[in-house]
Amino acid sequence: MFLDSIKKKSSNTVLLLVLAALLVLPFLLSGYWIRLITTVFMFAVIAKSIDLMMGYLGYVPFGNVVFFGLGAYSAGIGMSHGMPFIVAMLIGVLVSTIICILFGTPVLRLRGHYFAVASIGLNGAIMAIALNATGLTGGAMGIIFPVISLPPDMINKVFYFAMLLLMLLAIGINVIIIRSRIGFAIRSIKSNEDAARSLGVNTTFYKTATWVISASLTSIAGAVYGYWMSYISTVDVFNIMVSVTSILMVLLGGVGTILGPILGAGIFQVLSEVIWSYFLELHSGILGIITILVILFLPRGVLTGLRELFLNRALSKKAVKTNE
Amino acid sequence: MLFEIILNGLLLGGLYTLMGTGFSLQWGISGIINLAYGGMMVLGGYIAFALHRLINVQPLVSIVPAAVILFFLGLLIYNYLLKPTIKKGSFFVTVIMTFAIELVLENFMLLMWASDYRIITSPYSSIAFNVLGFHLPLIKALIFTLSMLGVFAVYVFMNKTTTGKSIQASALNPAGARFIGINVEKMYMYNFGIGCAIAAVAGALASNINAFSVVLAGGLLGKVFIITILGGLGNIWGAALGGITLGLVESIGTIAVGPEYNEALGLIVMVVVLVFRPRGLIGKKFWDV
Repeated sequence: MFLDSIKKKSSNTVLLLVLAALLVLPFLLSGYWIRLITTVFMFAVIAKSIDLMMGYLGYVPFGNVVFFGLGAYSAGIGMSHGMPFIVAMLIGVLVSTIICILFGTPVLRLRGHYFAVASIGLNGAIMAIALNATGLTGGAMGIIFPVISLPPDMINKVFYFAMLLLMLLAIGINVIIIRSRIGFAIRSIKSNEDAARSLGVNTTFYKTATWVISASLTSIAGAVYGYWMSYISTVDVFNIMVSVTSILMVLLGGVGTILGPILGAGIFQVLSEVIWSYFLELHSGILGIITILVILFLPRGVLTGLRELFLNRALSKKAVKTNE
Repeated sequence: MLFEIILNGLLLGGLYTLMGTGFSLQWGISGIINLAYGGMMVLGGYIAFALHRLINVQPLVSIVPAAVILFFLGLLIYNYLLKPTIKKGSFFVTVIMTFAIELVLENFMLLMWASDYRIITSPYSSIAFNVLGFHLPLIKALIFTLSMLGVFAVYVFMNKTTTGKSIQASALNPAGARFIGINVEKMYMYNFGIGCAIAAVAGALASNINAFSVVLAGGLLGKVFIITILGGLGNIWGAALGGITLGLVESIGTIAVGPEYNEALGLIVMVVVLVFRPRGLIGKKFWDV
């Protein structure tokens, strides 16, 4: 017990140190690195919201990128009509919530991979609508956001902190959820949905609620991304690759862990950047090969893998001690 | 006019049926959502294209080498990449694995053939004849016939041969199949290979009428998804129903609301079917989950 509490304290200290480092970093690094870390934060948020569905509830939202796109487009349309960013962003959250409830109630009845496929369909359909509703969305031309009147150096820092805040929010929500009633409900659904329902858990409600939370976080990330990039297009923000790479990040870090998806996002994004700059033509091929290797040799993710490694070592040490 | 639209839809539906059959077999029987299916179709197209260009093989004959190559590629992929993944991880890890395979395949094709659009111009591509006043190109009729023959061959194989019946048995009841001496893993592997071969045939056939490129792989995969969901899994009749429905929806939609909504229409029909009949129009319950 005593050892455990020390361990917990030391891991808390490490986390605080990391957080302090993240707060100081943008004042030390160049713009390129600040932007790279900002994308890591963004993918961490998307991966975190996917993990909420995938790791805790057991439903894989392959098409979750649709909320990223909806968030970005709502922010873009709202701001080009003169709304302040926060209001436009909240409209995006509202739109995502409505779509989640309308669509989730029937579709979340579908088990396992049917839900995944239905969510891909939802993304494709909304993307096609956004592409063709030229009057509202600008169609294939995309949307240009109002110019931010700040020096580029400041812009980098502002969005760095915005995304950092969003990531911390996502982590906070995750921690609150798994400790609350809804957390117990969704884990019971994951382990046995029929049993959960027969015990009186309102499964449809909890599943939809979880999806709403996941969608809202993703749509805020989309809004911030749009404002940051100052230009969005459908092929960009409704790209299914965003979901798929985020799922990959979750797998890489560790499914159903609090920090796993974030670690996965960091590893994947930095790795991708390195490959991008050294092997431009082989980029996707090398990413594919790395993915294959990770799945074959590290199937439960980096974080879980490391934990098991340490746990085994600790256990064997203990065993040695007791033998002595 | 209406007749022309419907005929066009049916002709398109024939090819879609073949496309859907392979994917549906892989999903319904081997239990793999093969995200590399679109890439495999394009690869089939490229094989036909290369054979036609380099050694002047008749484009419709080259479906045979394309099928053989993809069949063995499928066996290798299943044996060395998918089987270990299925053993270790969850269903979705397998999906990500096929996605990684797709990335590698696409990159390979990009290096080999670049992303330019290609099309095979066969010697008979300019021939056409008249059906009740409708201009019917010979090549479309040929592709429809060959697709139907392909689907029929798969049907006969699955229902009349021992291997085919063993494959079906492995899907229905793996434990029971093992009990009577069927090597279930091997059957899944053969089934996956057959699915890949069908992808190659469909791709090689389609490359005669549509320009193709690596960048289309994702769109093709989307179509295959729609076809499979519409009809139902692991069932050739399901793929046929889904394929023909999608063909009709697309050809009617092109006239009614314009070709740019084609993809959206198909997806909307798919989502509606999923909501009201999750197992597809005629899918059987036991393939589920």
